[in-house]
Amino acid sequence: MNLLSAIFIGIMFGVGIFQMLRRNVIRSAIGLIILANAINLFLFTTGAYQGAVAAYSGLTGQISDPLPQALVLTAIIISMGGFSFVLGMLYIISVRYKTSDSDQIKGLKY
Amino acid sequence: MPVTPVLLVPLLLLAVGSLVALLFARLKSLSAVGMGWLLAVLPLAASILIAWLSIPVIDGQPISFSIPWIPAIGLSFSLYLDGLSALFGLLVCLIGVLIVIYSGYYFKGEQGFWRFLVYLMLFMGAMLGLVLAGDLVTLFVFWEITSLTSFLLVAYKYKDESARRGAFRALLITGGGGIALLVGILLVGDVAGGMDYATILSSREILQSSGLYPIMVLLVAIGAFTKSAQFPFHIWLPGAMSAPTPASAYLHSATMVKAGIYLLARLNPVLGDTPLWFWLLSGVGLFTMLTGAYLGFKQNDLKAMLAYSTISVLGALVAMIGQDTSIAYKALVIGILAHALYKSALFMLVGIVDHETGTRDLRKLGGLWRAMSWTFGFTTVAALSMAGLPPLFGFLAKETLLATAIHPDVPQVINFIFPAIIVASGILLLGQASVLVYGTFLGKPADPRDPPQGHDPAIGMLLAPAIPAVFSLALGLLPEPGYEARLLAQAASAAFGDKVKVSVALWSGLNVELLLSVVVIVLGSVLFLTSRRLRPLAQSLWPGLTLNRAYAAILKGIDRLAYFATRLQNGHLRFYLSIILLGLLGLVLLFEAIPSSFLSQAAILPKVSPDRLELLRIFVLGLAALSCLFTVTLYHDIYSILALSVSGLAVAIWIALEPAPDVALVQIIVDLLATLILVLSLSRIPRLQREKAQEHNIGQSQQRSRFLPGMLRDGLIAGLAGLLVAVLAYISLTLRPHISLVTPYYAVNAKSLTGAKDIVGAILTDFRGFDTLFEIVVFAGAGLGIHMLLHYASRKAGDHEDPDPQPPPPNLHPATGVAGLPTSPLLHLLANAILPLAILLAVIQMMYGHDQPGDGFTAGIFVSLAVGFWYVVFGYHKTKEQLFWLRSGNLIAIGLLLGLANAFLGIAFGQGFFAPVNYGQLLNLPLPTGFNLSNSFLFEIAIFLTVLGSATYILDNLGRPKELDLESDSLLLSMDKEQNKRP
Repeated sequence: MNLLSAIFIGIMFGVGIFQMLRRNVIRSAIGLIILANAINLFLFTTGAYQGAVAAYSGLTGQISDPLPQALVLTAIIISMGGFSFVLGMLYIISVRYKTSDSDQIKGLKY
Repeated sequence: MPVTPVLLVPLLLLAVGSLVALLFARLKSLSAVGMGWLLAVLPLAASILIAWLSIPVIDGQPISFSIPWIPAIGLSFSLYLDGLSALFGLLVCLIGVLIVIYSGYYFKGEQGFWRFLVYLMLFMGAMLGLVLAGDLVTLFVFWEITSLTSFLLVAYKYKDESARRGAFRALLITGGGGIALLVGILLVGDVAGGMDYATILSSREILQSSGLYPIMVLLVAIGAFTKSAQFPFHIWLPGAMSAPTPASAYLHSATMVKAGIYLLARLNPVLGDTPLWFWLLSGVGLFTMLTGAYLGFKQNDLKAMLAYSTISVLGALVAMIGQDTSIAYKALVIGILAHALYKSALFMLVGIVDHETGTRDLRKLGGLWRAMSWTFGFTTVAALSMAGLPPLFGFLAKETLLATAIHPDVPQVINFIFPAIIVASGILLLGQASVLVYGTFLGKPADPRDPPQGHDPAIGMLLAPAIPAVFSLALGLLPEPGYEARLLAQAASAAFGDKVKVSVALWSGLNVELLLSVVVIVLGSVLFLTSRRLRPLAQSLWPGLTLNRAYAAILKGIDRLAYFATRLQNGHLRFYLSIILLGLLGLVLLFEAIPSSFLSQAAILPKVSPDRLELLRIFVLGLAALSCLFTVTLYHDIYSILALSVSGLAVAIWIALEPAPDVALVQIIVDLLATLILVLSLSRIPRLQREKAQEHNIGQSQQRSRFLPGMLRDGLIAGLAGLLVAVLAYISLTLRPHISLVTPYYAVNAKSLTGAKDIVGAILTDFRGFDTLFEIVVFAGAGLGIHMLLHYASRKAGDHEDPDPQPPPPNLHPATGVAGLPTSPLLHLLANAILPLAILLAVIQMMYGHDQPGDGFTAGIFVSLAVGFWYVVFGYHKTKEQLFWLRSGNLIAIGLLLGLANAFLGIAFGQGFFAPVNYGQLLNLPLPTGFNLSNSFLFEIAIFLTVLGSATYILDNLGRPKELDLESDSLLLSMDKEQNKRP
C-alpha cells in the first residue's frame, strides 16, 4: 500500500510538473493545482503514523496523526489563495500581451 | 587583562573626523590648507591616546574591550591592544596626521577637497579598527572597509579613466582576497571554538592538528597576499598609483598594504612554525622581493618606482613572518617601522616634485637641487634610508634582515638562496634609491633647453615628509633602550609568540651581516654608476612579460561567462523551471540523499493482500492519478479543468480514508471553489486567444508532430521529478517513526485545555492559533492582492481600462449567466435557496466545529461557493446588485481585527496571548449544550469573515464580465493577419 501511495503521489507530481511546462498558461495553472494536491498528499506521509480512526478525543482505537492534518488544512487554503492570485496574473498577462502562450510573452525576455 | 572602554575613543575620534570633513563641504570660506591643519588634530589626539594606552602594553600587559554584537552566535565587537596593534596603530595615526596636513597643501585651491578628507578619515578609521580589532570578525569587517575606502581614495580623480581602472583593479583583487580571508577566518574560528584572540591564540595545537589546517593557511594567506601585494597579486599596486599622491603615500607606506603583514604577524603564533607556513611565506615573499626590486629599478615614473620598491619590501616582510627564529621578528618590526618612515617621506617628496614641476618622469627631471634644496635634502635622507646606508634606520633594517638570512637557525636548504636574494634585492633597491635622487635633483635634465621649473614648497608641505625623514635619521642615533625599542620588542614578541629582544643600536660589531652590507653597498654603487646603460637594457628586456595580460584575460573570461549565463536567462519561464528541477535532481544524486540500500529493498514488491478499505483506497488513488493524466490529454481547456476537479475530489476521498475528515471537507470545497474560479477566469480570456494557446495542448492538436520533441523533453523532466517524489514519499511512508513527540500532548490535552473533541480543530484555533492568524492574513493578502493587481496595477501600467462595470438598466438586461447566456429559472431558485442555507451551515459549523468536522475555513468557503454560484447563474451585475451587503474589504478588515482582538482578550481574561478562555462560562450565559462561547469560537468567526471576504474579493475580480470580448477578438484577428504578412 505504501508503495502504491508513493507511486501515485509521484505520478501526480510528475503530471503537475508536465502541465506547468506547457506553453498554454491555463495548463500551467492546472499544473499548479495538481502540484499542490500532490504536495499536500506528500505532507500527509510525513505524519508519524497512520491511524484507524479520525483524530477526535474520546474515540477508541489508534487516532490518525492530527499534526500534519492541521498543517495540510491550512496549506490547502493558502495554496487556494496563491492559485487565485496566479489566475489574476494570467488575466493581466492575457490583457497585456494579448496571448495565453507563455512563449509569446515578450516582456520577460531580454 | 585590563579592560577599558577608552580603547574605543581613538576609533571614535577618527569617526568624528570623517563627520567634520563632511561639514567642510559647507565651509566654503575655509581653505584646503586650513582644513588639513584643523582635521589633523583628531588623528593626533588618537595617536596620543594610543601612546598613553600602550604604556602598560610595552610592559607586556595587553588591554581589551568588548561589546556584545550578536550574542546568540557568540559575535562581539571587540578591541585589543598589544605591542603589535600599538605599533601599527601609532603608525596609522601619526603618519595619518602628516598626510592630512600634507594633503591640504597638495590640494590647495581645489574645489571639493573635503571629499578626499572624508574618504581619508574613513580609511584611517577602518585601518585603525583593523589593527585594534580584538577578534577575527571585527578585523574582517574593518578589513573590508579598508578595501572599499581605498577604492574611493584611488578613484578620487574619477574623471580620469586610469584612476577608475586602477581603483577597480585594486578593489577586485583585494576584495577577492577578502572573500578567501572570510572563509579562512571562519574555519579558524570554527576549529578554535571562538573568534576572539584570547581563544585563537591559545589553540595552536588544535588548529595545527586539524585536517583543515592547510586550507586555513592557504585562505588566510591569499587574503593577506592580495592586500599586501604579493606576487602574483601585486599588479594592483602600481595601478593604484593613479591615486592622488597623499593617498598613495598613506596607503603604501604604513597602512593598506601593511594590513596583510599585520594579519600574518597576528596569526603567526598559532598558524606559523610549520613547513607549509615556512615555504608558502618565504617562497612567495622572497620571490616578490626580488621581482619588485627588479621591476622598480627599470621604472621611469618616480611613483611607479616607489610602488615596486614597496612591493619588494612587503615581500621581505612576508618572508620574515615565515621564519621561526626570534631575530626574524626583530627584522620584521624594524623593517615595518623603517619602511613606513622612509616610504611615506619619499612618496610625499615625490608628490612635491610632481606638484612643483608638473612631472615625475625621470626622463624629464634633473638638476633641481639648487631650486629645491630642502626637498633635495630630505629626499636624500629618506632615499639613503631606503638604500640601507648608515647611519639611517633603514641600515638597521637591512642589517637585521641580513642577520636573519645567515642566522644558524635558518634551514640548511635555503642557506645560500636566502641571503643571495636579499643581497640582490638590496643592491637593486640601493641602485634605484640613488637613481631617484640623482635623476631628479643632480643629473642634467634630458632637454637642457626646457629644464623642469620648480622651487621648494610652503614650509607646512615640506614639514610633513621632513618629520619621518628626520626620524629615519634620529631613530638610528637615539640612545637605547627607549620607548620605541620596548614597543618594538613587544610587537615582535606578539608576532613571534615568544619573547624577542630588540635593540636599535646601529653598531653590532664586526660580523657577517656587516660584511654583506658592505657587499650590498659596493655592488649597489656599481649598479648606480652603470644605471645609465643598465636601466634602458632592463626596460628593453621582455617588455611584454607582464601579468597585466593575464589579469585582462581573466576579466574577459568572466565577462564571457556572464554573457553565457545571461543567455541562459532566455525569458522562457518553462525553461527556468526545467533547469531548477534538473538541478534539484542533480543535487539529490550528488549527495546521495536516497540511501542505495533503501532502493534495493524497495525493489522487492511487498505482498499486497488488500481488505475492502484498501481496495477503495487503491481505486481512489487510481482515480486521482488517472484524472490528472486526463488533464493532459484532453484538448479543450474546459474539459481539462473538469478532469482536474475530479482529481481533486478523489484526493479528498483519499484524505477522508486517512482518516482525516476535517481536511477532506476542506479539500472538497476548496476543489470546487478552485474549479469555479478557474472557469470564471477562463471566460475572461478572449476566445481566440484561448484557442490559439490550446493548439499547444496534446489532445487533437493539428501539429502533433511539431510539438513532439518538446513533449518528450518535458515528459522526461516531469517523469524524473515524479520519480524523485515517489521515492521520497516511499521513504517517508516506510520510515515513519510511529512515535510522535508532539501529537500525544495535543491528543491528551485537546479536550481538557480547549474543550474541543476535534483535535485538528483544537490545533488550528488554539494550540497553533498564532500560526492560523498569520495564515488568514496571507489569504486576505491573496484576495487584496488580486484586487490591487486587476484594478490599480494594470491601470497604472496603462494596460487597459478596467473600470467598475456600469450596471445596466435592470429592465433591459435579464439575468444572464457567466458567458452572457440566459440561465434557467430553476437554477435561479436553487441559487436563491443555497445562499441562506450555506450561511446557516456556516454558523452551525462555527458553533460546533470543535466537536465535528468543519471550522471557520470551511464555513467561509461554503458561503463563498454559494456566492460563486450566484455569479455563474445570475452573472456579475445582478449578483452585485442583489448582494450589495457583501463588502469584501470590510469583511477582511473586521475578520483580521477580530482575530487580533480575540488574541489580546486572552491577555485580559486569561493567562496570555491567545490563551483559551470560555466567555460563556465566565459570564454564566445560558447557552445550548455543546456550544461554547469561547475564544476559539470568536477566532472561528474571525477566520470565517476573513476567508469569506477574501474569497468573494477573488470572485468579484475574476468574475467580471468581459465587455471588450468582441473588440479584443477582432483585434487579435487583425494582429494575426499582420503577423502573417511579415516575412
